[in-house]
Amino acid sequence: MKCKQVVWALLLGFLFMMAPAFAQQHPFAVSGQEALGSYNGLTGLILAWQNKFNSELQHATRALKSDPSALATLMLSSFAYGIFHAAGPGHGKAVLTSYMIANETALKRGLTLAGLAAILQGVIAIALVSIAAAIFNATAGQMKQATNLIDIASYSAIMLLGARLCWVKGQNFINQVLRVYRTNANSSSHNFSCDELEDGKYEHGPNCNHYHAPNAETLISSSFSWREAITTIIAAGLRPCSGAILILVFTLSQNLFYAGIAATFMMSLGTAITTGALAAIAVYAKNTALRWAKKPSQKLLLIGGAAELSAAVLVLSLGLFLLCNLSFGHIGA
Amino acid sequence: MAHPHVWVAVRSEVVFGDDGKIIGVRHAWEFDEMYSAFATQGLGKNGAPPTKEELAPLAKTNIESLAEFDYFTFAKQNNEKPAFKPPQDVTLEVNERKSVVMRFFLPLQTPASAKKPFSFQVYDPTYFVSFGLEKKEPVTMSRAPAGCSLSLVEPSPLVAADNQKLSEAFFQNMSPGADFGIKLATRAIVACP
Repeated sequence: MKCKQVVWALLLGFLFMMAPAFAQQHPFAVSGQEALGSYNGLTGLILAWQNKFNSELQHATRALKSDPSALATLMLSSFAYGIFHAAGPGHGKAVLTSYMIANETALKRGLTLAGLAAILQGVIAIALVSIAAAIFNATAGQMKQATNLIDIASYSAIMLLGARLCWVKGQNFINQVLRVYRTNANSSSHNFSCDELEDGKYEHGPNCNHYHAPNAETLISSSFSWREAITTIIAAGLRPCSGAILILVFTLSQNLFYAGIAATFMMSLGTAITTGALAAIAVYAKNTALRWAKKPSQKLLLIGGAAELSAAVLVLSLGLFLLCNLSFGHIGA
Repeated sequence: MAHPHVWVAVRSEVVFGDDGKIIGVRHAWEFDEMYSAFATQGLGKNGAPPTKEELAPLAKTNIESLAEFDYFTFAKQNNEKPAFKPPQDVTLEVNERKSVVMRFFLPLQTPASAKKPFSFQVYDPTYFVSFGLEKKEPVTMSRAPAGCSLSLVEPSPLVAADNQKLSEAFFQNMSPGADFGIKLATRAIVACP
């Protein structure tokens, strides 16, 4: 029992670890908002690598003008950049892992969601820069405004997803609480214990409202719906990353836009690997908890339900927070 | 997400007034190629780089949001933190290397005598922007009284000079909450007799 509680506690801790710092409008911002965070040791290490890959990106793009073989370097460093870029804190990952914890038990589906979100992120960046910069010759300010709109859409999706998860998980949790309450009420008013029935038929009177432990999977369920999954992909992947926008605009200015597009896809691939790993951890942790809880006690189910609900609440408040920040921030600045 | 996306090479000038007090800091920040490409995107006619006028709106946006971040300029004297007034003479232009340079003068709230050492650092606490000092004469003094001196105190590098290997200091700095922006910032110290 202790172990199982520890797993849920870890799951919750993991969730909050993934929650990003909330953002202010940053000078020299490239997209609408840049998350601002503090660093611990691991992020410090990741940071140094990100720096390295970023400068390699610039070098490779410059070299590409005279040396086509630099394309390979550019692809590789974009890929690496994607992996490490995604390893920092960010709302996309918070949404994705929260969704996994609240909802998902299938690894394959989790990986698919992570992959699709990463691809969406790349496609949005390419679409944005192609349409805004390459076709309409938009300025930095106009592109920032465009990303502001994308931010609103993205944060609204997070809020929607959170609200939906809260609704479903909240009902689930309330039902669990009611069930526990009813069971306790019954067992205290009767001296009769259902477990003492040994005729194997499991027949008991209408007052014996005892608690049949259900299969864990049906309660802490993978109630998969494509609508939620698609909302998750949008919520996690709609907002393009500044790194991709920068490399796209940079390659565009060097007349090497094709290289920028290829680099962005490599970044997406790298991002997918990291977010996929996070998704896998979330799914694995949840499944481990479920496995240990084959015949779950009421208490455990309550803890599980609470963890799911917390994940849902986290997504909702994240969406609200990000939206509020936007509207009280410097929209269109 | 919050790791450098923008790199800036800093050149600053400590400006003295007629009475020999420091009245402020004049900055010239040169941006990296990628941010420069971003900032100039869609501007400039017939292949010519954009003019100051064309870049003015972006300069305005940037300087306005800089206010929230104390203009990334953090001064110190007598264990106090002298405040700056809103910047003057803000311009954004493209230099001969096609890099975007932002210039502005940051006046001190109250002019400071440099009889006690006055120092400042330029860094982004959020480390979205990585500030580094220009290689040659990054900090100078303007109209300084005779005998004033300027020195730079380099931080121990997180990443060794060749930018490839992690230095020992990097690992020492891997404590929770390590503030990379400040840990990488050089301190310029001005002292007058």
